[in-house]
Amino acid sequence: MTETRPIESRLLRGVHRTLTGLHPALESLIAALVGLLVGAILMYIWGFDPWKAYYALIRGAYGGSYEWASSIARGTPLILTALTFSICLRAGMFNIGAEGQMYMGGIASVLIAYFVLPRGLHHIVGLILAGIAGAVWSLVPAFLKLTRGVHEVISTIMFNWIARWLGLYLTIFVIVDPIRNEKTLSIPLSARFPLLVRGTDLSYTVFVAVAFALLVYFLLWRTAMGYEVRAAGLNPTAARYGGIHNRRTMFLAFILGGISAGLAGAIIVMGQPPTYAILGGGGMPQLMNIGFDGMAVAMVGRNHPIGILVAALFFGGLNAGGRVMQFYGSNPVPLEMVRVVMGAIVLAMSIPELIRLFPMIRKRGEELIRLLRRVGRRGEERKAS
Amino acid sequence: MGDTVTEQPARGKSYVLRAERITKIYSDGTAALKEATVEIRPYQILGLLGENGAGKTTLTKILSGLLPPTHGRVISPKGPVRFTSPREALDFGIGMVHQHFALVGTFTAAENVALSHERPFSQLQLAKTRERLAALMEESGLHVPLDVPIEKLAVGEQQRVEILKVLSRDVNLLILDEPTSVLTPLEVDVLFSLLERLRDEGKSIILITHKLKEVGSVTDRVVVLRQGEMVGDVRTAEVTSQKLARLMVGEALDEEVDAVELRDEELPSTRRRAEVDRSGAGVLHVENLVVRGNTGETAVDGVTFDVYGGEIFGIAGVEGNGQSELVEALTGLRTAVSGVATIKGTDVIGMDPNRIYRLGVAHIPEDRWVLGLVLPFTLAENAILGIHRWERFRGPLSVLRRGRITKHVRELMDRFDIQATGPNAPAKSLSGGNQQKLIVGRELAKDPAIIVASQPTRGLDIGAAHYIRQTLQEMCDRGRAILLVSADLDEVLAHADRMAIMYEGKFMEVCAPSDLGDRERIGMLMGGVGCEEMS
Amino acid sequence: MSASDILQLLRIALHAMVPLALTAVGEVVGETAGLFNIGLEGILLLSAFAGALGAEAGGPLVGLIVGMGVGAAVSLVFAVINTYWKGTQMVTGIGINLFAMGFVAFGLIQLGAPGFHDVPKAAEVIKWRTGVGSFSPIILVALILPFFIFWFLRRTRAGLMLKAAGEMPEAADVAGININGIRVVAAMFGGVLAGLAGAYMSVAWMGVVTKDLSAGRGFISLACVVFSGLNPLLALLAAFIFGFFQALAEWVKTLPAKPIPGEFVSMLPYIVTLLVVSGAIGRVRFPKALGVPYKRE
Repeated sequence: MTETRPIESRLLRGVHRTLTGLHPALESLIAALVGLLVGAILMYIWGFDPWKAYYALIRGAYGGSYEWASSIARGTPLILTALTFSICLRAGMFNIGAEGQMYMGGIASVLIAYFVLPRGLHHIVGLILAGIAGAVWSLVPAFLKLTRGVHEVISTIMFNWIARWLGLYLTIFVIVDPIRNEKTLSIPLSARFPLLVRGTDLSYTVFVAVAFALLVYFLLWRTAMGYEVRAAGLNPTAARYGGIHNRRTMFLAFILGGISAGLAGAIIVMGQPPTYAILGGGGMPQLMNIGFDGMAVAMVGRNHPIGILVAALFFGGLNAGGRVMQFYGSNPVPLEMVRVVMGAIVLAMSIPELIRLFPMIRKRGEELIRLLRRVGRRGEERKAS
Repeated sequence: MGDTVTEQPARGKSYVLRAERITKIYSDGTAALKEATVEIRPYQILGLLGENGAGKTTLTKILSGLLPPTHGRVISPKGPVRFTSPREALDFGIGMVHQHFALVGTFTAAENVALSHERPFSQLQLAKTRERLAALMEESGLHVPLDVPIEKLAVGEQQRVEILKVLSRDVNLLILDEPTSVLTPLEVDVLFSLLERLRDEGKSIILITHKLKEVGSVTDRVVVLRQGEMVGDVRTAEVTSQKLARLMVGEALDEEVDAVELRDEELPSTRRRAEVDRSGAGVLHVENLVVRGNTGETAVDGVTFDVYGGEIFGIAGVEGNGQSELVEALTGLRTAVSGVATIKGTDVIGMDPNRIYRLGVAHIPEDRWVLGLVLPFTLAENAILGIHRWERFRGPLSVLRRGRITKHVRELMDRFDIQATGPNAPAKSLSGGNQQKLIVGRELAKDPAIIVASQPTRGLDIGAAHYIRQTLQEMCDRGRAILLVSADLDEVLAHADRMAIMYEGKFMEVCAPSDLGDRERIGMLMGGVGCEEMS
Repeated sequence: MSASDILQLLRIALHAMVPLALTAVGEVVGETAGLFNIGLEGILLLSAFAGALGAEAGGPLVGLIVGMGVGAAVSLVFAVINTYWKGTQMVTGIGINLFAMGFVAFGLIQLGAPGFHDVPKAAEVIKWRTGVGSFSPIILVALILPFFIFWFLRRTRAGLMLKAAGEMPEAADVAGININGIRVVAAMFGGVLAGLAGAYMSVAWMGVVTKDLSAGRGFISLACVVFSGLNPLLALLAAFIFGFFQALAEWVKTLPAKPIPGEFVSMLPYIVTLLVVSGAIGRVRFPKALGVPYKRE
C-alpha cells in the first residue's frame, strides 16, 4: 500500500535524513548562526550596521596570526570551565558552579607567591593548589546533594556568590600586594607561564588547557571509571544492573569538574601579562563570567572535549573579535553584544531537533500560502460577482 | 461456567460502538492490532481475553481516545467517530478505568473526581462533589474515604476511586483494564455485582482480562485476541473454559507448520537429555522466598525451587504475577525480605549485582532498553556492561583495554550474527533482535554457571528468537543451569526440563512440561483455575 | 541597636523582600504546573532595565507595566520551547540568563553610562512617607498576593488543574486538560510577577539600573521556592528571611566600626539560603512531573 508522495516532500525527507546523520555538529552550527542572526537583528534595531560589526568581529578573531593568538588565548580558560559543566552533565548533574570554583582556583594559585620553588615545580604546585581549591569548592554542593538531597543548581550558584565575596575579601585584604593594593601579589617569575606569541596574551597555558581536555577525554572514554560516570548519567538503572555505584560516580564527576574550574582560574592568573595577578577592587574583572561563558561553550561543544575545544575557539574568537569590533567604524558595537549573541546561541541550542523545526516551518509556510491564495481567489470571485 | 445466563433483551441489532478493521502499527514497526473488528452492544458485559501483547490494551486505548488507529475506523450509530483526546471520548460517553490509574496521587478522591468535570474558572465546589460522590457510592456500593490523598489509600481503594471517577461522568461504555489484578476475592465480588447492575441499566462494559475464571463469572460475551488478531467472538454461555484457553494460547494448526517446524525439533520428546544430577541443592537454590514489590505489596509469596546444572527450569505465567521481582531478587537488583536464595552455595540475598556476577551468574534482563543496555553507548561499550571492571578488560589505572574489548565484541558479533555497522555503532541503531543477541552474547561470555533469562525473546522476530533459544539450549547441554522466565508459554513448554507456573506470587505447579497435562489445563493454570494445591 | 535602628532594619527588609517574594510566588505557580525556570535571574535583569526605560518614557506606572510585559514575553518564549517543542528547561534558563546579562550591559552602554543608569526621580514610583521612612506601595502587593495565590491554588478548579498538570499529567490529560497550554499560562504568570519584581527594583526601590542589579535574586527566589514546598505563604516567609539578611548586610556596612568585613556580611544571605535549603529539604516534596516535557503515550 504505497502512496505516491509529491516530489518536494520526498526531497525534503531525503535532505532531512542526511542532516540527521550529522546531527550534533550541525545543530551547534545552526544554533550559532541563529545566535548571530539574533545579534544582527538587535544591532540593526539599535541603529548599528550588522555587516560592519560582523566584519570587524571576524577580522578581529581570525584575521591574522596575532588575531588567532588572541582568540585562542580568550578561549583557553573557557575550555576548562566548559569541561566542568560537561563532565558533570555527563554524569547526569548540573554543575553551575564553575564560576565560584574558578575564583577559588585563581586565588589558590596566587598562594604560590609565598613559596620559593624551582621553575617547573613552581608551576605545577600552582596548578595543583588551584585544582584542589576548585575541587573542594565543588565537593560541598556534591556532599549536600548526596546527603541532604539539595538540588545542585541552587547550591552551586550560592557557592558562586559566596566565592565572589570571599574572593573579593581575600584579594583585597589577605593576598593583596602591599605596594600596589589594587591587585594581589603577583605570581613569581618562576611560576609564570611564558608567552607563546610575543605581543599577545597567548601563553603556554593553552597547552595546560588542551592537555587537560585530552585528559578528560581519556578519563571519560578510555577508563573504567569514566565509563561508569557516563553510564550512570545516561541510564542509572542499567548502570545499577551493571554493578555501578551511582553515588560514587557522581562524586568523582564533581571533583573532576571542580579541578577543571580551579585550573581555569589558575591559568588566567599565571598566564596573563603584565601583572600575573588578580586585580581586586573592581571585582576580579579578569575572572568574571568565565564560568558562565564556559557553560555556553560546553553546550555548543556538545559536552565533548573535542567539541569543546572547537567551541572554545569559536567563543574565544567572539570575545577577541568583539574587542576589535567595539572600536571599529564610526558607530561601533559595544563588546557586550557578544554576550547577547552567546545567550541567543544557548537558547537556540535548548530547542531539541532544531533542524526538524525547519521542515515544519516550511510546510506551515506552504500551507499558509495555499490558504491565502484560496482566500484571495475567493475574494476576487466575490468581487467579480 | 455458563451459570451466568443473560438474556439478550429484544432490542434488535442495536450497538453502541463498532470497531471496524482496526489496525495499529507503532512507529517501530510492531503491529499491535491487525484488522480487529468488534461490536459493542448495550446491556452487555464483553470480556476481552488474551495473553500479554495480544492487543487488548491497544484496542481499548484507541476506543477511549488515547491513541489513533493506523487504519480502520470506529463507528457509532450516528456515524463514524474520531477521538483526538481522552476528553472527547469521555464527552461521548466512553470512560476507561486504566490498569495504571489515571489519578493524581496527592489529590483526594473528591479532588480527582472534581478534576474531570466542567471547568468554570471558579471556586471549587468540593462540597457538592462530595455529595454527588456520596450518592454515587451508595448506588454503586463502592465506598472510599473521600478526603484522604490517593497515594495513601490501598490499591483496591484507589481503583474504586478510579471507577467512581469514570461513573461520575455518566458513561455509556465503561472499559476496565485488568481491574481484578489488584483486588482481593471479596473486592472482586463487589466489583462484579456493580458491573452487573450497570449492565442491567443498559450500559456497555468491556472487561479486559487474562483470567478465565472472571470471564466465566461475569461476562455475557467474550472476544479473544491473539497477537493482534481477533480469534474468537462467542457468547459466554456457549463456550467452555477449555475452548477459550485453547483460543487464547493458540493451537498448532496446519497452516502454521512453518513456525511450528522449528519448535518441533525442540519438543521434549525429541531432545536428548543427559541425566541431570538432582541430588542436593541446585546451582540456584531458593526456599520460601518472599519479595516485596514497589508499592509494598507481596510480589513473591514464598516460592521454593532448585535449578540444577544441565537443565532449563522454566517459569511460565502471565506477566505481573511476581516474576520480575523474583528475578530482581536473585540478581542483586532487589532485596528479598525473607527466605533463602543461594547460588553455588553462597547466600545472595542483598548482594550487589557485581558480586553476584562474579559468582558466575549471567542475567538477561526482561527490558533490554531500561536495564540491559545503555542505548546511546556503542556496541563495544554495551558489550562490557557489568564486566567492565574485570581484569580481562581493565588494565592498570583502570584504563580500558580497547584492543581486547574490540576483539571481544567482534567475537560476539561473529558468534551471534549481530548485524550492525561495526563495534562502534550506537546500540540504539540495532534492531530489537540484534540488541537482544548482544545482551545474550555479553552475558554468556561471562562463562556463567547459571543464566537467568527473563523474557529473552520478547518482541523478537522468529529468527532471532529461535537463535536465542538454541543458544540457551547449547549452554544447557554444556552443563549450565538456566532459569528461563517467560510469558510465552510455548517457549517454556518446548525448552524447559522442569517448569513452574507462577500466579500471584506463588508457583502453581512444579514439574516437567510433559506432566502438566494438555494445553487446556495449562491455560487454566495460568488463569488461576484449578490446582488449589500449590507448592 | 536602638529601637529606631530595628525599625529601619525591618523597613529595608520589607523592601528587600519584595522582589524575592514576587518572583518566588510566580515560580511557585510555574513549578506547580511542572516548569522549572532558572532563567528568573535573566528576567529580573531584563525587566528592571525595560521598566526603567518605560518609566522614563511614560511615568512610573508605565514602567511597571513594561516590566511585567517583558517578563511575560520572556517566559512565553521559555514556556513554548519547553512544552510544545519539548526542550530542556535548564538549558533554556541558562540561555536566558546569559542573554540578559549581555543585553542589559549592552543597553546600559547605549544609554550613556556603562554599568549603571540612574532612574530620574520623576520616574520613580511614589513612596509613602511615614515617620519611620518611606515605604513602597508595592510592598503591600507582595504581602497580599501570596495569600491570594494560596487561595487560588487550593480552592479553585484552575488551581487543581495546575497541580494535576505538574503532578500527573497523564491523569490531567484524561480529564481533558491541555497540559502544554496550562503550563504556558502558568509560566507566563510567573513571568509577569518576576517582571514586576525587576521593574520594582529599578523604578520603585533602588532608582538605578546596574549590570548585576539582580545580584543572584533570581536564584535566591528559587531557593525560596524550594524552601516553601510550593506553598506561597512559606515562600513569602522565606523571602522575608532572606530579605532580612540582605538588609542586615546593608546595615552592617553602614556601621562606622565594622565588626566583620563587609564582604563577609555580603555573603550572609547566600549562606543563609544554603542552610535553609539544606535543612528544609527533608520534608519537601515536588511535583512528580517537574522538569519533564509531557508526551502522550
